[in-house]
Amino acid sequence: MIGQFLRLTLRGIADFGLHPVAQLLTLVAVGMVTLLTGLILVGIHNVNLELLKSRGEVEFQVYWKVGTEAEAVIKDWDVIKKINHLKDFKTFTPENALVELAGTLGETGDFSWLADNNPLPYSGLASFAVPPDAQQDGWASKLLTELKALPGVDKVNYTPFQADLAQGWMTMSRVVVWPILVFLGLIISLVVHNTIKLSLLTRMDEVEILSLVGASPSYIRWPLLTGGFIQGMAGSGLGIGLLAAVHSMTADALNFPPFLIEIRFIPFDQLVCLAGGVTLVSMVSSWVAVK
Amino acid sequence: MMVKVDRLSYNFGAYWALKDISFTLEKGEFLFLTGHSGAGKTTLLRLLYGALPVNRGRASVAGFHLNQLKKRQIPRLRRKVGVVFQDFKILPRRTVFDNVAMALEVRGMPRTHLERRVRAIVRAMGLETRSYSVCERLSGGEQQRVAIARSMVSNPELILADEPTGNLDFDLTMHLMEIFKQFHTYGTSVIMATHSREVLDCVPEARIIHLQDGRIITDGGEAPITGQGREDDE
Repeated sequence: MIGQFLRLTLRGIADFGLHPVAQLLTLVAVGMVTLLTGLILVGIHNVNLELLKSRGEVEFQVYWKVGTEAEAVIKDWDVIKKINHLKDFKTFTPENALVELAGTLGETGDFSWLADNNPLPYSGLASFAVPPDAQQDGWASKLLTELKALPGVDKVNYTPFQADLAQGWMTMSRVVVWPILVFLGLIISLVVHNTIKLSLLTRMDEVEILSLVGASPSYIRWPLLTGGFIQGMAGSGLGIGLLAAVHSMTADALNFPPFLIEIRFIPFDQLVCLAGGVTLVSMVSSWVAVK
Repeated sequence: MMVKVDRLSYNFGAYWALKDISFTLEKGEFLFLTGHSGAGKTTLLRLLYGALPVNRGRASVAGFHLNQLKKRQIPRLRRKVGVVFQDFKILPRRTVFDNVAMALEVRGMPRTHLERRVRAIVRAMGLETRSYSVCERLSGGEQQRVAIARSMVSNPELILADEPTGNLDFDLTMHLMEIFKQFHTYGTSVIMATHSREVLDCVPEARIIHLQDGRIITDGGEAPITGQGREDDE
């Protein structure tokens, strides 16, 4: 049983020599499909990275209640300084804020008459840079809630554009990116399936003859399955190799001002999914092609 | 009984290729199926080796009831039945040895036993000097001998031959018919479709069923055909 299994596997490998041109063309076609899919994945991956970079930065303006004791405010500031991913935190006493306001307004900003009756509260400007891996659904609103929950805080303003962008990207991921990936998977399946099926047309006479002499379906299909596995592995390997070559040539194509974007290669897990998907489709196509 | 066919009919859409066919074939019997192109000879043979499903009527071959034949049983049926075609159906890029050995390899026969059997049948066919030649380099007669060797190497109980000499000249036809007769004398049942008088004359003791428009016109006795020379496909 094992001997026959090995013999059929070896036959599947040896059969590559029977129709070398058809096999070579199939290999190139599978490789090209893998390359094109890989290029699209690189594009999506890099767009995602760029959006992640900007969407992770949010500024919050925090205002304390008028008349809050300085000691209580300083305690709150200490709490804010300990919040994860805080990038910068500027604090303003009412006096500082008045000076800052006067400085902003220039010559017309003389508020010295307010010095004894300053209406401005304690305030702070907290900038956060939340890395992609720490971002979850609603991370910006969680930060907002955390800041609002501080005892002396009156109100918190934030730049909604950046938070909206984050939310928008997540929605887009769900609505656009995943369907694109599913569509891409479907295209790979169809193209690789048809390519493998066409290459097996050259062997249909062999399949028919084997069937005539009483070969079982598994006896007929195992060498084809072996061939499909090799085609899938070699084709996806070729495609990924070409993708790596294209990437190495274009990695710094956008790495100049004002873009300064370094094109990154797709992560290892996506690479494994791509190669595995192509190989699996090749094998399944080889199996069903003789049905 | 090797073959039993009872009120068998088969249609390709609106066209009825076989209509209400009934006959039996005993073990060791030699049967010719005659009739013009389109008479239903090939369809009948295809039904008998499981290439077409039996839907109307009943048929059994070598103990297999074709009406109830499941897909997974077809290989087992075909291991008991050798099939020879007019167009040889051999793998042109493989050697004579590989083509003949194929019929035994699918049965999982041990290599040493297989090699002995293949060498013996190749020798019996007069192809021993061509054992390792690629089939596409052989003549038509040699290729047909390879096909016959492949169908007979497993000692089938029944041989179905569809115009096996159709592409061959007179001398080769006579030679191949001698080979069929030889296997028949060992007890193998044979059903051969032909419309060649020379072929019929080679086995005078054989039974003849004449088909016309999918029906049996005569069973036994002389076949009402006068065809000479080249045979046509259905």
